[in-house]
Amino acid sequence: MKRTLPIAGLVLAAASLCALRAQAPADARSVWDGVYTDEQAKRGEAVYRKECAACHGDMLTGGESAPALTGGGFQANWNGLTLGDLFDRIRKTMPQTKPGTLTRQQNADVLAFMLNINKFPAGKTELYRQSEMLKEIRFETKKPPAKD
Amino acid sequence: MFSRRFVSASLLCFCLLVPISVIPQIASAQWHAKETEWPSYAADLAGTRYRPLDQINASNFSDLEIAWRIKTDNFGDRPEYKLEGTPLMVNGVLYATAGSRRAVIALDAESGELLWIHGEHEGKRGGAAPRQLSGRGLAYWSDGKEERIFYVTPGFRLICLNAKTGQRVPSFGENGILDLKLDDDQTISAWNDKHEWVPDLETGEIGIQSAPVVAGDTVMVGAAFREGMTPKSMRNNKGYVRGFDVRTGKRLWIFHTIPKKGEAGYDTWEKGSAEYTGNTGVWTQITVDEQLGLVYLPVESPTSDFYGGHRPGNNLFGETLVCVDLKTGQRKWHFQLVHHALWDMDISSAPILANITVDGKPVKAVAQPTKQGFLYVFDRITGKPIWPMPEKPVEVGNVPGEWYSPTQPIPSKPPAYSRNGVSIDDLIEFTPALREKGKEVASHYHLGPVYTPPTVSKLEGPLGTLTMGTASGGTNWPGGSYDPETHIAYLYACNSCIEPIGLVESPKEVSDIRYIAGVAGREVQIMRGPGENAGADSPKPPKKRPASQYVRLDVDGLPLVKPPYGTITAINLDKGDFVWQIAHGETPDVVRNSELLKGMNIPRTGQETYNIGTLITKTLVIAGEGQVTTTPDHPRGAMLRAYDKATGKEVGAVYMPAPQTGSPMTYMVHGKQYIVVAVSGGPYSGEYIAYTLPSAGE
Repeated sequence: MKRTLPIAGLVLAAASLCALRAQAPADARSVWDGVYTDEQAKRGEAVYRKECAACHGDMLTGGESAPALTGGGFQANWNGLTLGDLFDRIRKTMPQTKPGTLTRQQNADVLAFMLNINKFPAGKTELYRQSEMLKEIRFETKKPPAKD
Repeated sequence: MFSRRFVSASLLCFCLLVPISVIPQIASAQWHAKETEWPSYAADLAGTRYRPLDQINASNFSDLEIAWRIKTDNFGDRPEYKLEGTPLMVNGVLYATAGSRRAVIALDAESGELLWIHGEHEGKRGGAAPRQLSGRGLAYWSDGKEERIFYVTPGFRLICLNAKTGQRVPSFGENGILDLKLDDDQTISAWNDKHEWVPDLETGEIGIQSAPVVAGDTVMVGAAFREGMTPKSMRNNKGYVRGFDVRTGKRLWIFHTIPKKGEAGYDTWEKGSAEYTGNTGVWTQITVDEQLGLVYLPVESPTSDFYGGHRPGNNLFGETLVCVDLKTGQRKWHFQLVHHALWDMDISSAPILANITVDGKPVKAVAQPTKQGFLYVFDRITGKPIWPMPEKPVEVGNVPGEWYSPTQPIPSKPPAYSRNGVSIDDLIEFTPALREKGKEVASHYHLGPVYTPPTVSKLEGPLGTLTMGTASGGTNWPGGSYDPETHIAYLYACNSCIEPIGLVESPKEVSDIRYIAGVAGREVQIMRGPGENAGADSPKPPKKRPASQYVRLDVDGLPLVKPPYGTITAINLDKGDFVWQIAHGETPDVVRNSELLKGMNIPRTGQETYNIGTLITKTLVIAGEGQVTTTPDHPRGAMLRAYDKATGKEVGAVYMPAPQTGSPMTYMVHGKQYIVVAVSGGPYSGEYIAYTLPSAGE
């Protein structure tokens, strides 16, 4: 009896997750769909060097004062969430010494640079600057199978 | 005016007063913590992180449920994503630092109800502090009647609070505040706009994020600074350690971690370098043997982590374990773990006191876990190594102007419990092809065993020395654990935290240090807050390489080194031998889901995390994961795992919504055992979560 309830809870939770997934549009975009441009990533690198590298490191590998923004640990943190979540985390809390001081464009550019360093492919259109729109782009660490 | 001054306590201490009757009065005149309590950062002053509780055990660990939880977002003007605290629990009240304000909160330990909160608004001084955010904890003192809480603000003020109300204690220091930037046998200074080193209490670099330590009627505080890889100058404030009277705040003693002229060790700083070199603080936890009246100070690196050309000599007491008298601060003995530090090994965690039996004889020992994966064990009265630590030759580098120690002490026992160097044999080996790719990545670097020195970074190679067990390897600030009944130490270690250490000549306007950390071909990046840069006549930075030419320290997204990535090792301190060693942590998603490894059966690898603390109970070793994973067994999150203390076999796990970022602690109230752990990171802001077993009948 003791174990029944949690398991029942898990089953329900899993069922809800499945329902949510089922509702996602079949053509939902992910970070694998070329959601930023190389040019934007270059602009983002300049902003990154000035505003972010002092804590997150020249190579985005982090340090004691800030986590890595590349690699398995970073990607696992955001896996299954959206670029909107990551964008808002940057926009509202970074740079740590003066949060919220970068423009939406700068934040989007930095995000493009991070995607580039994490080897997500560039495309032909720049990243959106609106959180709501970025929430339509899923952060998936695993490359999905090619669409038919 | 408001932002520049430290506003008086009465204005800014915001307290929800709790009726005194809620908190039981302490009856005895001589106060001693109970085994069901957690009165000190590391459970006790011996640094054990051990409580002999056993209600939560192998048979029920996986049944744990959340008793209460508290987000820390509102304890500061912005949320915090790096909550590192370990709370205290005394008399049914849980005390913790929390939030970006480094507020102190008191909670009902059973229900999590907020009893009071205290915060200090420090204005620019807090904003300029080298060690901000919520810190790692606080200290508790009682004489059986009064109860006090001590913590250090980001702006380096020691605050004394009434534990019942959260109000400052007026009789301590100045209205409950001791300005730690004063009375420090030095004038805390900073560089001004004209590049003059001038007294500056507001921005003068010094602070601390670890918890003060109370032993008897003495409260002790060390010091921390900014990260030391790219300091602005060879000159900095010094990290002395001080002891203060818990009742009045009067300074009782000071220990000069860099000796003053005439003091022992001064001659290990050649060319007068003791005068200007700074840092060398005790930024981690201090350990005390109250019975012997001895304090154990783990001292960090001197100014400039990776280049010591401006401080020739062995540099006592840099990276030295120092034993001082609790009453006077006078040095009793010392042992320098690393001569002339060049690797940022520091001494990063609390020394552990262990009463052991070696060759049939009882020994009062102190065991020091380290980033370099050596556990240094000494007789804690005499400082004599329990097992020989012979000086062995190490590689002497060729960085211009550097001074090298030709030897370093290497413990003969126990064996290193984590990797502390990089060789080809350490590289990824899931397949021969991956090993080859790993070798290509490594070929850009100088490799070698522990104490292989940094190199000047060159475009044609080496880009630097590839190290492990330096800045972030092995055991870091959470420290180890120790079971006083079985004499076994339990040590988490990052076994894959690679640190490439390359040096570049520092542009004059960046630092007056000849070489600082950097990569050839990339603009020098000073590792501190933004806003300092380029003078007109300064040398232009070298041409940048495009991002696509980064030498990434991974192989197709997989870790460059082979598993295990993170381990827990049980070491019998009577014998100096391993009892067991396991990989700690779920295999990372990036490995488990890799197309390159499809079909391969890879045992659990553990995770690359440098800041995992362990908790020891009567039968269990408990530690959370430091990375998020998404597996068929659980949604995106991390697991708090329990292992059989005797065998290392996993016996249970419970889900956490985010990684463990502060070490777990445990206590018992009204017959129920709780485990509290700090989680945060990535998208998840700081939260303390208390777990307990379901109530009977559930």
